[in-house]
Amino acid sequence: MRTLEEVVSGVFGVEPQSLDESSSPQSVEGWDSMGHVNLVTALEQHFNVSIDIDDVMEMGSVGKIREILVAYGVRA
Amino acid sequence: MEEQRDHRKKGADDEVEAQRLVYRELKASGRTAEAHAALNRLVELDPSGGTATFAHRERAKLGEVGERPVRIAILSSYVLDPLVPFLDVECRRAGLTPAFYVAPFNQYTQEVLNPSSGLYAFGPEIVFVALDLEDLFPGVRRVPSVDDLAKSRAEIRGTVAGLVRELHARSTALIVVHEPTFTGSSPHGILDNRRGDGLSRWTEDVNRDLAEDLGAQAHAFLLPLRQVLGRAGNERGQSRKLFYMARMRHTDGALRELASYSMRYVKPLKGLTRKCVVVDLDGTLWGGVVGEVGPDGIQLGPAAPGIEFVDFQEALLNLTKRGILLAVCSKNNPDDVMPVLREHKHMVLREEHFAAVRINWRNKAENLREIAEELNIGLDSFVFLDDNPVERELIRQMLPQVLTIELPRDASQYRSTLESLSDFELLALTKEDEQRASQYQANRQRQALELSSGSLEDYLHSLEIRAEIARAEGHHVPRLVQMLNKTNQFNTTTRRYQTPEIERFVASPDHRVYVLEVADRFGEHGLVGSAIVRRERDAWRIDNVLLSCRVMGLSVETVLLKRIYDAARLHDAARLVGEFIPTAKNGPTADFYRRHGFQLAGEVDGAQAWTLDPRVDRIEDPAWIAVKTTGE
Repeated sequence: MRTLEEVVSGVFGVEPQSLDESSSPQSVEGWDSMGHVNLVTALEQHFNVSIDIDDVMEMGSVGKIREILVAYGVRA
Repeated sequence: MEEQRDHRKKGADDEVEAQRLVYRELKASGRTAEAHAALNRLVELDPSGGTATFAHRERAKLGEVGERPVRIAILSSYVLDPLVPFLDVECRRAGLTPAFYVAPFNQYTQEVLNPSSGLYAFGPEIVFVALDLEDLFPGVRRVPSVDDLAKSRAEIRGTVAGLVRELHARSTALIVVHEPTFTGSSPHGILDNRRGDGLSRWTEDVNRDLAEDLGAQAHAFLLPLRQVLGRAGNERGQSRKLFYMARMRHTDGALRELASYSMRYVKPLKGLTRKCVVVDLDGTLWGGVVGEVGPDGIQLGPAAPGIEFVDFQEALLNLTKRGILLAVCSKNNPDDVMPVLREHKHMVLREEHFAAVRINWRNKAENLREIAEELNIGLDSFVFLDDNPVERELIRQMLPQVLTIELPRDASQYRSTLESLSDFELLALTKEDEQRASQYQANRQRQALELSSGSLEDYLHSLEIRAEIARAEGHHVPRLVQMLNKTNQFNTTTRRYQTPEIERFVASPDHRVYVLEVADRFGEHGLVGSAIVRRERDAWRIDNVLLSCRVMGLSVETVLLKRIYDAARLHDAARLVGEFIPTAKNGPTADFYRRHGFQLAGEVDGAQAWTLDPRVDRIEDPAWIAVKTTGE
């Protein structure tokens, strides 16, 4: 099981160490709208959850994603 | 996280198990109505087929107590009993207490016509009639002709109309007929919906007939089975969430399928269509080892095990109708195998369907090289099908240009594996493609003749070759484009022109496009050569000459060149210029201009220019070819 950072870094091709809770579309290259779709698809597959669309829209940073995944019962 | 997921799953399992216990308790204590309710709850918790079947069975033991009964009958040409538990669940969910009657397998006609049948004794309120297209028309998977299709279309219409009429005469039930659906792959590939004998349009036609007939009767309906089956796939393939988020519609799974199907168009466009399928025998065309169990012991016939091999052979035979060649490469004794190929009652493929046969104990890579030489096509046009992983690995390593298919262990997946390949598509099917298999058979006879002839020239005379040369017209364009894009060996410049360019050349007064058709005593080769010539101020420039590998070695290319030469002379051209661009594959063409008296005049960027003065030099037709020219 990979960590949240590893999934995010896998989608955008950046080092996991370069990510922190505040990492967001503003700071991560490639995290545009299409990148966001890819990220959500990867999270859903990796953590075996289906993320509601309003939560998808809320996922504006690594920290926020973690918060939402925890609410889905994922220990991310 | 892993641990947590297990917990959740385990929690759900526990709940299902608890519900079963609750049900057993209620049943044991005779609380029937509550037991039914417990079953309702159970199938909600676990919607699997297994639990639905368990619930259905248990209800029969409990006896019914519910209200609002409904009587449902199913008539089908195939086994549809597994639908009943699911329908049972759905009925209970709707507050109905269903009773079911499933007519004996494939006896729908008797059930409908016999007034004392089980069907009428049951007294249905609604009858589902599920007739599979393959059962209504068994030839549907074997490339039916236009006539077969028209005939069966009328038959299906008649069958359904008759069933509905007779049923309605004896019962007040609502009649729901399933749409006949073709769920296989079309043997015509991407050409299916542009052919008169295509299956997609034919299926549409069949269903339009039925919709029209049933639509006129208040008691009969047509269930849109194609839409239902599509939805089952769409559930996983379509995502509204992706649409709302990103205006995307397809999930990764659907996109993967779409990408794979798209390659059916890309590959032929890029000349990547494979031309020959080499098959193994034991374990591939039939089950078992014929050398051990004998012709009667192999698995091949109308029932399993064996039907899967018949089905696979049919799919291979269908490929030949598209011009794909078949060849056999098997480690066996010919004496063991030939009786099967020639006499086994259930063989679909016979000796004559194979353009080349290698039954021996030699290395398969060597055999494949030999077959490529015999058929005069490149190994990169080959597909290799063998159930033995060792042989597959050998070919992968020794001949990586051959497409070696990872044949599944389960032979029931052979046909769908073959049909899922995107390597056999053509953008247009020409007469030549349809006849190719029989042409190669004629080639084998030609070779036999060659061996019995004394000199090469005697042999060529004995072939009685006829060549017909004409200016290209619109109807030649598909075949021209096809040849330009896949001919590698005899091709002077390998310029891959597409349809718009060829149409322009054919219409242009500055260009001449010639087509060559060849026949001999064994049959027609069809359109097998072409030349494109551009008229310049004082020279005629031969942009391209090509010849199908099937007619190489007969000197028919001289006929093409002679025709150009005659026209150039007639127009008093000072020079005939032939271009030649060497490639890795067109070695056989390298001396084409030299041996017809051209001189190498120069070379620019790898393109050679060969010239000849038509006013002085001469080109003659070969003595063994009867030439017919049409047009100027």
